[in-house]
Amino acid sequence: MSVTRRSFLVKTVGATTGLMIGFRLDCAAKIDEATKVFSPNAFIEISVNDEVRLWATRSEMGQGVRTLLPMVLADELGADWNRIIVEQASPGGKFTGVRLRTSGSGSAVGTWRTLRVAAAAAREMLIAAAAERWNVPPSTCDTKNGGVIHRPSGRAIQFGEIVIAAAKLPVPKSPALRDPKDFSLIGKPIRRLDGQAIVTGRAIYGMDVKRPEMLYAVLARRPSFGAKLVSFDSEQAMRVQGVRHVLPVTTGIATGVAVLADGSWAALKGRAALKIRWSAGEGAAFDSDRFSADMQRGALLPGYPIRRAGAAEVEIASSSRIIDATYEYPFQAHATLETMNCTADVRDGFCEIWAPTQCPEVAQQETAKLLGISEDKVRVNITLLGGGFGRRLFADYVPEAVELSKAVGRPVQVLWTREDDMKYGFFQPPDIEVLRARLPDKGVPTVWIQKSVGSNLSMFGIPSEQDAKELDRYAKDGSPWGVFDNPYNLTHLTADFIPFNSPVPTGPWRSVEYPGTVFARESFIDEIAHAAGRDPIELRLAFLEPGDVLDLKVQKVNRARLQNVLHLAAAKSTWGSKLPTEKDWHLGRGVACNVYSEDCYAAHVAEVAVRRDLSAIRVRKIICIVDCGLALNPLGIEGQAESAIIWGLSSTLGGKIHFKNGQAQETSYSDFEVIRMDNTPAIEIHIHQGADSPGGFGETAVPGVAPAVANAVFAACGKRVRRLPITPEKLAMA
Amino acid sequence: MPNFNILVNGSRRSVQCDADTPLLWVLRDELQLTGTKYGCGMGVCGACTVHQENRVVRSCQISIHEADGLSFTTIEGLSLDGSHPCQTAWIEEDVAQCGYCQTGMIMEAAALLTKTADPTDAQIDEMFSGHVCRCGTYQRIRKAIHRAAASLRS
Repeated sequence: MSVTRRSFLVKTVGATTGLMIGFRLDCAAKIDEATKVFSPNAFIEISVNDEVRLWATRSEMGQGVRTLLPMVLADELGADWNRIIVEQASPGGKFTGVRLRTSGSGSAVGTWRTLRVAAAAAREMLIAAAAERWNVPPSTCDTKNGGVIHRPSGRAIQFGEIVIAAAKLPVPKSPALRDPKDFSLIGKPIRRLDGQAIVTGRAIYGMDVKRPEMLYAVLARRPSFGAKLVSFDSEQAMRVQGVRHVLPVTTGIATGVAVLADGSWAALKGRAALKIRWSAGEGAAFDSDRFSADMQRGALLPGYPIRRAGAAEVEIASSSRIIDATYEYPFQAHATLETMNCTADVRDGFCEIWAPTQCPEVAQQETAKLLGISEDKVRVNITLLGGGFGRRLFADYVPEAVELSKAVGRPVQVLWTREDDMKYGFFQPPDIEVLRARLPDKGVPTVWIQKSVGSNLSMFGIPSEQDAKELDRYAKDGSPWGVFDNPYNLTHLTADFIPFNSPVPTGPWRSVEYPGTVFARESFIDEIAHAAGRDPIELRLAFLEPGDVLDLKVQKVNRARLQNVLHLAAAKSTWGSKLPTEKDWHLGRGVACNVYSEDCYAAHVAEVAVRRDLSAIRVRKIICIVDCGLALNPLGIEGQAESAIIWGLSSTLGGKIHFKNGQAQETSYSDFEVIRMDNTPAIEIHIHQGADSPGGFGETAVPGVAPAVANAVFAACGKRVRRLPITPEKLAMA
Repeated sequence: MPNFNILVNGSRRSVQCDADTPLLWVLRDELQLTGTKYGCGMGVCGACTVHQENRVVRSCQISIHEADGLSFTTIEGLSLDGSHPCQTAWIEEDVAQCGYCQTGMIMEAAALLTKTADPTDAQIDEMFSGHVCRCGTYQRIRKAIHRAAASLRS
């Protein structure tokens, strides 16, 4: 961006007078139309030098929110795209009560309308100021490229010249929003604004924060769930050159002993030299294989009703053509590439934090509580996140740094090693789905009975005595996702949920509860289709008849939109066409579809090759149709869908987390395998806009991957794998 | 503590630290060159990739003792202004999502293209099998490498 002479002058004036020039549109978007609650959401500043400043109210973790919000602002305000500066909002201050949490694929859905209202209000004020100066009716004016234009005369004036006059005008209560056909950026493929900073290494993630006098800390953490620190000997650790302190840490979920040093390496060496005694914790015997066996038996326990239609139990008792299957989804780790970390500086009754976090409000609250100070004495700076995927919805790694900084009176950065990150996460809990159906036949309605065994805590983290209360909430809120919002029109449907918890801290993982439940549902539909001699897409389309809207009170499912993405998936994949014959490989296609949280629909077709001796599985291509309504930035949606597919594929073909002796056994990407370049299939994304408003798109394309691949494997070689991940060993056993 | 001298991005840098300190931590903690990322510390993710002359090294796997007297290029030194063909191709293809792994990816790509002017997908797959991108941007990385290769050839 070039500094024009005028902006230079204004900046100088601003600096010498110390005044904030321009106007700020605090709380312009006060009224949430649905709730009638005052909820300011977006903050804009326009300065006399024409800079438009926008505060991003979501964390950037790769979903592109710091590009998307400026697009919305530029279009609605008529701002100059090149003169928008994006700041990151911090909790408290003018953002008190404003949601900054980044979750549920809600970055666009949760911000775009209120940002538009705020921008439209600013636009109306600027137009009113210009119209007054020109003595023309405001209705003859518009905004474009950072200025107001008078359409009949072609006169134009930059925002900067009228912001002071505009700021004196009342803020319009219900400004008119632009007609979407007038958008010039929304709907166009726009590249990431922070791309340049990323490719030059200048982008600042949590781990890149440097503070004067900062110490680097790593922790030796509990060897098993519930283990308590008995004693530690720091003598050898303190002898490592550069080590300054050895201190116990009592906050967070993986407590232990911290070594603080002048550099990361000294801290790591110091940690290796610690001698620690632990007591065996109550979770010291936890074993995930045993847990999985217990969960299978859990399906026999009484559950909580999730869905009821018709008389499934009665009908099935008198049926002869019955199909049964049990599916299992294991523990998974987030394994973000940037491990957990936090930098804290506690001094003079104040605390400043730098953290890559999806939940800055929680970080602020927990810090204030820990230090016994008010929240306004805690400033949380949100850095870029080197991946989030739900892991950073927990602030457990924040108080560790706060506690240590307070103890030593210096800024402290806590680094989690890769091994720490693998072992001490909030894991995706395992899921077991036990399914039973009566095969559809001419004139015979389908019967579907489902027992969903899973953790009821995926949104709530550490198990607590609140569990019983949460259960009630669980079904009412529409969980488990993928079971509750089963989109199919099944005459007789019974679905129950059986909670099954472990000592493992669990948390939302990309697409939350859908991966396990959709793997099961979409695999089972495939099994029904094959057993009934029906085409898997044709059967789904039939089950989605009459293409109506399924109203589940807390959620609606538009069956026609799901049918549409299935039709498109069939067309784009040339579904039904014959695959070539290959000497060494069986080839097959598989399909799956799902609706993510009512507003985003996806259908996947996977093309898979299985070596004839079953020694290898290659996913060659995945075609995905995404309908997340209005596509704000198609390039971003495409990228998110590609990313979601690789994410889904990693848990379909790659690693899982095993627990033995109360501890995760995986240590890194060497034993927790994720998809890499050499097993990346060709990915084809097609965006279909099935609604006028935008839906979330960060997670939508995850759940369909596993069942589409499993179904393709079956189509290729006749082997049905019901326990993820799909491996050659499982094919041999199937 | 012993003294070591390395050439980083053309500048001679002198550091005092333990001989077994990985170059990664020297770059990040001592020299404040934070574009080189920590991802695993055991050479399995590729996030810390830098160049030693024309060769790629994982900076977490080479100690300052081994690095002493050698010359390295980090992402900060790949170009002055982000104009290396790999960097511009990465922007053109809108590769980065969270972006954390991408500096390592770009260093790998830049080194690959000095040896192989027009790499095939199979050659790219082989060179990048040591890298992890948890956002799964691999398809775009491939495209960006082909784009950078084309621009270098023209």
